[in-house]
Amino acid sequence: MKKTITMNLNGDLRSVEVEPGDILLDVLRTRLGIKSPKIGCEKGDCGACTILLNGKVVRSCLILAIEVDGQEVTTVEGIGRNGATRLQKAFVEQNSFQCGFCAPGVVLAATALLDKNPKPSESEVKEALAGNLCRCTGYGPIIDAVMSVAKEN
Amino acid sequence: MANYKYVGKDAVRIDGMDKVSGAAVYVDDMDFGPNLLHAEIVESPHAHALIKKVDISEAMKVPGVVKVVTGEDYPFTFGLYMQDRFIFARDRVRFVGEQVAAVIARDSKTAKRAAKLVRVDYEELPDVLDLEGALKKDSVLLHPDLDKYSRCPWFFPRKGTNIAHWRKTRKGDIEEGFAEADEILEDTYTVPRYAHCAIEPHVIVGLYDMAGRLTLWSSSQSPFTQRHVFAEALAPLGLTHKDIRVITPYVGGGFGGKAGVSMEIIGCALAMAVRGQPVKVRLTRAQEFYNTYQRQGVIAKIRLGCKKDGTITALEHTLHWDAGAYVEYGANVVNAVGLSATGPYRVPHVKIDSICTYTNLPPGGPYRGFGYSEFHFGLESHMTRMAKKLGMDPVAFRKKNAIAEGDTNGYGSKMNPGDIQKAIDEVAKAVEWGKKEESADPDKKIGKGLALFWKAPAMPPNASSAAFLKFNEDGSINIAVSGMEIGQGYLTVMAQVAAEVLAVPPERIRVETPDTDRNAYEWQTVGSHVTWSCGNAVRKAAEDAKQKIFDTIHRGCGLPVDSLYLEDEHVKSRADASFAMPFKNFVINGIMTQDGTWRGGPIVGSGMFMPEFTSATGDPETSQGGHPCVHYTVGAAAVKLEIDQRTGKMRVLKTALAVDAGQAINPSLVRGQLTGGLLQGLATVLYEDMRYSRKGKLLNPNFTDYKIPTAEDVPDEIIPIIIETPQPDGPFGARGVGEHTMIPAAPMVADAVEDALGLRIKTMPLTAEKVALAARGIDFGSLKTDSIGFCFMGSDPADYDFKSRDSAATE
Amino acid sequence: MTIALDYDYAKPATLAQARKLMAKHKAPRVLAGGTDLVPWLIDGMVEPDILVDIKGIASLGRIRVKGDVVTLGALVTFNDLLESKVIAKRAPMLQDMASKVASTGVRNRATVLGNLCSAVPCCDAGPSLTVFDAQIQLSGPDGDRVVPLDDWFTGPRQTVRKPAEIATAISFTLPPKGSGAAWIKLGRYKGEDLAQASVAVLVKPGNVCKVAFGSVAPRPVRGVKIEQLLDGRPLTDDLIAEAVKLLPECISPITDVRSTREYRMQTMEVMLERGLKAAAARAAGRGPKYGTALI
Repeated sequence: MKKTITMNLNGDLRSVEVEPGDILLDVLRTRLGIKSPKIGCEKGDCGACTILLNGKVVRSCLILAIEVDGQEVTTVEGIGRNGATRLQKAFVEQNSFQCGFCAPGVVLAATALLDKNPKPSESEVKEALAGNLCRCTGYGPIIDAVMSVAKEN
Repeated sequence: MANYKYVGKDAVRIDGMDKVSGAAVYVDDMDFGPNLLHAEIVESPHAHALIKKVDISEAMKVPGVVKVVTGEDYPFTFGLYMQDRFIFARDRVRFVGEQVAAVIARDSKTAKRAAKLVRVDYEELPDVLDLEGALKKDSVLLHPDLDKYSRCPWFFPRKGTNIAHWRKTRKGDIEEGFAEADEILEDTYTVPRYAHCAIEPHVIVGLYDMAGRLTLWSSSQSPFTQRHVFAEALAPLGLTHKDIRVITPYVGGGFGGKAGVSMEIIGCALAMAVRGQPVKVRLTRAQEFYNTYQRQGVIAKIRLGCKKDGTITALEHTLHWDAGAYVEYGANVVNAVGLSATGPYRVPHVKIDSICTYTNLPPGGPYRGFGYSEFHFGLESHMTRMAKKLGMDPVAFRKKNAIAEGDTNGYGSKMNPGDIQKAIDEVAKAVEWGKKEESADPDKKIGKGLALFWKAPAMPPNASSAAFLKFNEDGSINIAVSGMEIGQGYLTVMAQVAAEVLAVPPERIRVETPDTDRNAYEWQTVGSHVTWSCGNAVRKAAEDAKQKIFDTIHRGCGLPVDSLYLEDEHVKSRADASFAMPFKNFVINGIMTQDGTWRGGPIVGSGMFMPEFTSATGDPETSQGGHPCVHYTVGAAAVKLEIDQRTGKMRVLKTALAVDAGQAINPSLVRGQLTGGLLQGLATVLYEDMRYSRKGKLLNPNFTDYKIPTAEDVPDEIIPIIIETPQPDGPFGARGVGEHTMIPAAPMVADAVEDALGLRIKTMPLTAEKVALAARGIDFGSLKTDSIGFCFMGSDPADYDFKSRDSAATE
Repeated sequence: MTIALDYDYAKPATLAQARKLMAKHKAPRVLAGGTDLVPWLIDGMVEPDILVDIKGIASLGRIRVKGDVVTLGALVTFNDLLESKVIAKRAPMLQDMASKVASTGVRNRATVLGNLCSAVPCCDAGPSLTVFDAQIQLSGPDGDRVVPLDDWFTGPRQTVRKPAEIATAISFTLPPKGSGAAWIKLGRYKGEDLAQASVAVLVKPGNVCKVAFGSVAPRPVRGVKIEQLLDGRPLTDDLIAEAVKLLPECISPITDVRSTREYRMQTMEVMLERGLKAAAARAAGRGPKYGTALI
């Protein structure tokens, strides 16, 4: 079976025809041109495919595209539409990322945390980012940048 | 210390905004249009078997299948240092997961369905899954034609055995060394296999176009080396280097796993099979674990002799490597260790044997540290134990024996500058070495450990780098080099090197990712050598451009060349203080002279670098006489560890690492290597462990059961320390640090566990489980069953004598 | 990242419609959070002919409280548990449990009931809800029924649910004031992991103790003999030591890629001791705050 779904993707209404077996991450990347969510592990372990679904952090590799009909999907392409956010700038200034493959997911996870909890403790930051694996940085420079934004809040 | 404007400064990464904005493009993000084909790999379910028949007829019937490729289509071998692999297994498979065929289809769903319909008949062979089994006199041979393989001149395979390479280093007289010793300590240490776990899986897209050009978009650390290996492998099809182009955009982590050629050869072959249409091969996470490279396992036997005063007299170090089914790259890891397994110590009498053995497990290969992490675990553990045996403080013992500039290393070369003494002092101070600490919780004990490290780039003696540099109309610069930005900050560092020479701020410099058609040559981005090697090339390219700038100004403005200097994007003159010509005024269009004619033209520069003092011509029996390594980077690390002795749970309260970077071009990025590398090293000792079934199947090819650290698993405190003793032939004195930062992690943790609980654990990893069991007197190794998996060592390696190997090898 | 199988998909708006769809198909599967189901589909471990997405059934998404009885609808996620005020106040141990299930991006989708339906031996919802004597509500072609959690699991990945039945809710009675509880999950590190072993303890007024374990048997199990031993007696160190001695009669851990039998067994001794002590102390109004790591 095929079905046309419509989602609010980064502020735009986008329609696409999908089958029930199509995975949201794949549809975003190959059919809708949204490349910031990455394919890392395909089973929810690594967080590279993180997106915001109706404002909540989720794994787009664990969601069927057909499930998000009528819903709101936000990716890094969406949050920086009016220029880089304070958080993104902090990440750049502090050389937080290395290879950068995990960065879109981390940016979204940290953005969602700060939206909900503008002044998180360091352990809350670590907890919120624990689902986003990074093999390069040892996490220190990422955590420090989030904390620097939290301090200004 | 020299006063630099851009070198030595914490510049912001020039790729920073690309990465946090989602703009950074990785191979899988590139669009190839609706003609893009997808491939699914058909894999061997057996560790060792003969392929009797491959039947693709059912798969070919599936609508949407374009082609099914098997080993019969490509009867060519390939390999970086030794051509011991076919593109697809032909007559036999040698590990579980090896590619036997691939289905190319219009979409991935069709490819996946059709791949299940490829029928392969196998005849199982006895498998060789551990070193004991591999080294018996009558062991089944994985590669009966071993001696016929084309290989580099510094590999020494043993015909009629599973030994692919044996590196021997001999210095002094080992028996005399032990005769001089008052104490001799002998023991065996084991290190299992590990996975790189870059978050981006390997991916390659290949297009063999109708004009006969083969273009590969590859997630690679080694675009030029890939092109070379592809050209060699595909030579029978008439392709040469100029027909092949490798393009590498951003790479999502490498750690050695994307060096050389592993799965990329599949993409290359498939592209050749479907001329005119691009085809993509992207590994799943599971394939990423079992069909790229793995860090090799090792059993290391160490015999160390010392005088009562702590002076080392002799070291005998025998390392048996589980190199897997193919060693085309992994054998060079074995080689590197065979040269350097003295560690950073002054040892008068040395006997090193580093032996590379085939097994029916996935191919071993390069991994951040290139064998050094593996041998440091045993060696540094052993140094501490020897110190204690002598009644010496392990730090004092190390300071006494640590190598210094001018000392002679194992193969007879002189040690380069590097301040290991300062590194030891700094990290010892950071963890308050010598102060015994107690936890308030009676279940918890605190221990400390300290380890030294050294490492040299392992490269062919003539590995080289080159750089192109060009100015733009606005005075900004593009640099086209082919080192790879794998996260370390290479692009930024190259910009800083050029910035220093040309007085242009790094943010006004773009450094392009590689394209073998357009960018200058680079051997590979491995061995922590690109800052040093490519940095030298970029520096020379910048100097070249600078000379052209001076020439243009001289001819356009009449100022003497030797009066000219660059400052803040201007040319200035000591002969005329009022002269200040902005680059943008002339770097493309030149300078108009009084008669209206023009001088100059677009400013470009090129540079090349190759070490001209290295050679791989040492004696095969002793390794004396050559000069295989360019230089060693040294350092030390220490840890303060809290252990719950009832559960084995460990918490790193504090850790410090000091590395002699020569000159940190960008200290922020060096600290990034320290923090990241240290955690990767800690993960190998605390959490990670590859487990195989008795049939050679990897049991944990996923992040569910192969545990790489999360943000919650970081040390409470990391103290990064940068020491700077300039490297004479480095760009501004720099030498590499990328791999080094993970090397000392494992032995320092093992030392801290012993310090806290009095338990010496000689097998990696030291998981909470292993420590807790040991605290109750249970050896984890003794509990191994089929369901837990095993590593590679066969029976208890401590009891394992290699005599059968010796006899097999010498016949 | 490809699902090779073709199947249908429906998103009914009512439970009645969902029931009908389930009854009509040969191999229906309920889709709620999908965090287990989607990887299973990719790996070809399940072969449904239809996915019945129950996220359109609004009534299944709520945490309802009636008197002292809490009902978690089938769509209640682990993060919903973490955000619930009544759970925070009356059953904070469930928040300790939920906070260590995978990571927040998974917890925003993964449902508590889905965890029980997947029924892997390491499921965290199993032992933690067992000590609350929870009951699962099922709705199927033959009507509705209620199954005590004790009777729910029949083996690894197996439950008493019939293929056409939909698990609609799980309910339990909130413990009275003066109760204390503890959740201890042994993982290979602090970050996301499946339990190598887990224990849930609930101490109610009058020293009524409930104990259940995860990852140490083919299914989550209640420590029946330990509960009988402890019943009504003050939790002294000696009594706790006696309880620990009963562990081999309550659990039967195996060796697998995550842990050896020996480590599971010996660490469970520590976990049970620490769990009982922490729960008792909390019941007495002292003890470590909820959220404090006990291992």
